[in-house]
Amino acid sequence: MTSGIRFEDVSVAYGGTTVLDAFSLTVEPGEVMALLGPSGSGKTTALRAVAGFVRPAAGRVFIGDRDVTGLPPHRRGIGMVVQQYALFPHLRVEDNVAFGLKARKVNKGEIPGRVAEALEMTGMAAYGTRYPRELSGGQQQRVAIARALAVRPGVLLLDEPLSALDAQLRSGMLAELARLHRELPEVSILYVTHDQVEALTLADRIAVMDKARLQDCGTPRQLYRRPRTEFTASFVGNANLLPVAVGGAGVSFAGTPLKVDTGGAASGSTATLCVRPHLVGLGDGPNALRGTITEVQWRGATHRLYVDVGGRRLKADLRELRETPELGAEVTLHFAPEDAVLLGAGVTSDG
Amino acid sequence: MASADAVPAGGGGGVRTASTGAGARGGTTSAGGTRSADPRTDGAPPAPSDAPVPHADAAAPRGPRSGAGAAPGSRPGPPAGAPVRAVPRWVWALPPVGVLALFFLYPLALVVQQSLSPDEGGTSVEPYAEVFASEAFREALSTTVWLAVGATLGCLVLGFVLALVIAFIPFPGGRAVAKFIDVFLSFPSFLITLALLFVYGTVGMANGLWTDVTGAAEGPFHFLTTPWGVLLAEITYFTPFVMRPLLAAFSQLDTAQLEVASSLGARPARIVRQVILPEALPALAAGGSLVLVMCLNEFGIVLFTGAKGVTTLPMLVYSEAILASDYPAACVVAVVNIAISVGLYSLYRVVSRRVGA
Amino acid sequence: MLVHSRTGRWAAWALFVVLFVPLFALPLLVILAASFSTHWSGAFPSGPTAGHYTAAVRGESLQALTTSLVTALTASLLALTVGTWAALAAAALGRGGKRVLDALFMLPVAVPSVVVGLAVLVAFSQPPLLLNGTRWIVILAHTVLVTAFAHQSVSAAVRRLDPMYEQAAASLGARPSYVLWKVKLPLLLPSLNAAAGLCFALSMGELSATMMLYPPDWMPLPVRIFTATDRGSLFTGSAVAVVLMATTLLVLLAVSRIRTKASYR
Repeated sequence: MTSGIRFEDVSVAYGGTTVLDAFSLTVEPGEVMALLGPSGSGKTTALRAVAGFVRPAAGRVFIGDRDVTGLPPHRRGIGMVVQQYALFPHLRVEDNVAFGLKARKVNKGEIPGRVAEALEMTGMAAYGTRYPRELSGGQQQRVAIARALAVRPGVLLLDEPLSALDAQLRSGMLAELARLHRELPEVSILYVTHDQVEALTLADRIAVMDKARLQDCGTPRQLYRRPRTEFTASFVGNANLLPVAVGGAGVSFAGTPLKVDTGGAASGSTATLCVRPHLVGLGDGPNALRGTITEVQWRGATHRLYVDVGGRRLKADLRELRETPELGAEVTLHFAPEDAVLLGAGVTSDG
Repeated sequence: MASADAVPAGGGGGVRTASTGAGARGGTTSAGGTRSADPRTDGAPPAPSDAPVPHADAAAPRGPRSGAGAAPGSRPGPPAGAPVRAVPRWVWALPPVGVLALFFLYPLALVVQQSLSPDEGGTSVEPYAEVFASEAFREALSTTVWLAVGATLGCLVLGFVLALVIAFIPFPGGRAVAKFIDVFLSFPSFLITLALLFVYGTVGMANGLWTDVTGAAEGPFHFLTTPWGVLLAEITYFTPFVMRPLLAAFSQLDTAQLEVASSLGARPARIVRQVILPEALPALAAGGSLVLVMCLNEFGIVLFTGAKGVTTLPMLVYSEAILASDYPAACVVAVVNIAISVGLYSLYRVVSRRVGA
Repeated sequence: MLVHSRTGRWAAWALFVVLFVPLFALPLLVILAASFSTHWSGAFPSGPTAGHYTAAVRGESLQALTTSLVTALTASLLALTVGTWAALAAAALGRGGKRVLDALFMLPVAVPSVVVGLAVLVAFSQPPLLLNGTRWIVILAHTVLVTAFAHQSVSAAVRRLDPMYEQAAASLGARPSYVLWKVKLPLLLPSLNAAAGLCFALSMGELSATMMLYPPDWMPLPVRIFTATDRGSLFTGSAVAVVLMATTLLVLLAVSRIRTKASYR
């Protein structure tokens, strides 16, 4: 197969600072892989290593079966969309879209059809004769996507493509991107973002990055429901991370025994228990914890309670309560054993 | 993030290290960089292109050509990627440098060589000794320097005051004045002297007014053929060169600063001294040193004054070479002139880079 | 606004007018007035005439005008080519190489124009390249002098050029040469235009180096103005000077027209 991306131990360093450290990852043909991480985590560097704008100090990059590590960008056969769109301001929309086709010396007679097709696909067919400056941000983004798709790349690289758009446009474009991917199922997409919603919505798998390294990789569901590291747990979604001691049949937190699946963790060792705030309930139930309310935030649809339990602050997101709880009130929280995940303390994932 | 990531792939070597922003930007993959030496590696038509793929969305079975439109060589090829025989980047810098060397550096070198070869033949520093000993040279040197320094100071003061009014006490037509300054800069310097001949010349406007009013036979203005005439012309011509960077610097100044300062009770003089002047210093330094160099090198103004009493170094070069045909002497003066102005110009570059003007 | 009181403002404006008008506006007006008169022996010129212009647009002066135009156009185009090439090549070099190249191309600004004239005269009055006495020596000196300015303004524009455009082009499969022609040069066009205007104006007014070099049959306008005034024909000189200014302005205007058309944002 010819599409798909493979990183093999790719390291990139600028002036002594390692910005990507022995990065290995495979994007299957037709797969949408999100690179998710805070800024400075190396995710954009990884994408630019595929595009050819960054040369690895070590390791190899493959597109399909082809080792492209030494190839200049224009010979890699990729499509790329960046945050600032980078539409050529001196060219009309149709000429922007035709740019890659002409650069690749595609048969002249074929170009108009493919331009029209790409513009059709992104809903910009009516704007072919406009200049980029005459378009809104969202429209420019669609043109940038059309331009990248017109060359029919095997892999599509998207570098924070939605972060210059406002929130409303962003969710619209997310749906558009998902539709485009359904229409082009054979294209592999590498999607760099710092926004977990984008990653969770769009990706088949998410690679979580931090400090120049790959921290975790899995389907959105896996990462959200069964995170393997504290970093993943707190970066993908929200999490209560509780230090616990592993006992025989469960764990104990602040002296309270809790029933959870210990997954064979050694008795007597310490670990971290991850519980999602929205899976915490108010009132009695399994794994009950008593504490005092230190802060209440009303967020419209939900109430967020901060509850002090044995000196630890627990977050609970509850469906909007009829009566706002009092500060300092004593409450009982609970969570189902299957909603908690035990993370090996200090153990990092091997990706 | 973007700028830190903008470090380019080297044309053929390893990772180039560039620290941040500016450096990384400068070195982007560009023109000369990865151009292939072998036309075949580039010119090949795109791989068995797209003909068989009717529609991009036609979920064709992923055969060897679903990477349609991929760059040439997309077949499962040599694992290490086809070696790109790129011409090193510096090769592209050679043609312009060669042109410059032939038409500028080589002539300059000849000037230096000539300055060391007296008419009698051989190589010696004798021409230097001769020229340095001559009264004319020493006078020209001192005239040049004090004229340049004086004109520069005049330009700085005048330019600062005028730019201050344009920028901070706006009046209708201020933009037109700024435009006029740009136009003024595109005219040659000797026009000013030509105009001054009509204004302050022996039978010019000022003297005419004087004789009309007082009935005297002759007006009081006779400074035009003295160094003062040159000074006036240089200040007039070069002041806009100070105003331009100043206006640019002033437009960067946040007017909120001025408003805050005056809301705190500062009078205009204090605002100028404590808020505006510190901001303007870099622009003043850069503009001032540029004007200093240009005054040192000014020729047209002095030539048009037509005064035998005012000889500057460039004027001396001209008269030694063209009028006296004494090339070694002319070359000596030229070398001295180059040394002074290149030295000062390097200073200007350093200053303006420091302050980012 | 720096001065808030009404009187203070008026005082500042008055000061501005007193300094600005006599120093900057008056000289140009005086030349214009003189070009239309035959006498100036009082406060104001007298003997209005358009005769100097009939002289200024024929014969020797007309020849000087075409000489200046040809010289300025040729020198500007050559300088723009060399300067742009150097600026683009410098941008592709490392930090050190770039600095060296920039310094080299800035050197002609620092060297006095008279000296440039002398150097070119010395170098090309002897084999292997004998140009003395031809028009080419003038054009050559002008090119050397304005190349520095072309290089300076183009390399400033190259620095401002966002690398994302050429990266986008490369990701779409465009070879570096294709990127240069279809993306970089079009985006630099407004700056190239401005640089061309600057070079043209500088070359039109160049006197210092030209005085050292010009052959009798290739006398540009500034030299013509000088010889006229040197002979005492101040009024004819003024008329030729007005022609010089008008031509320069017209070309600059045309160039800025093209520029606004070519700027995309």
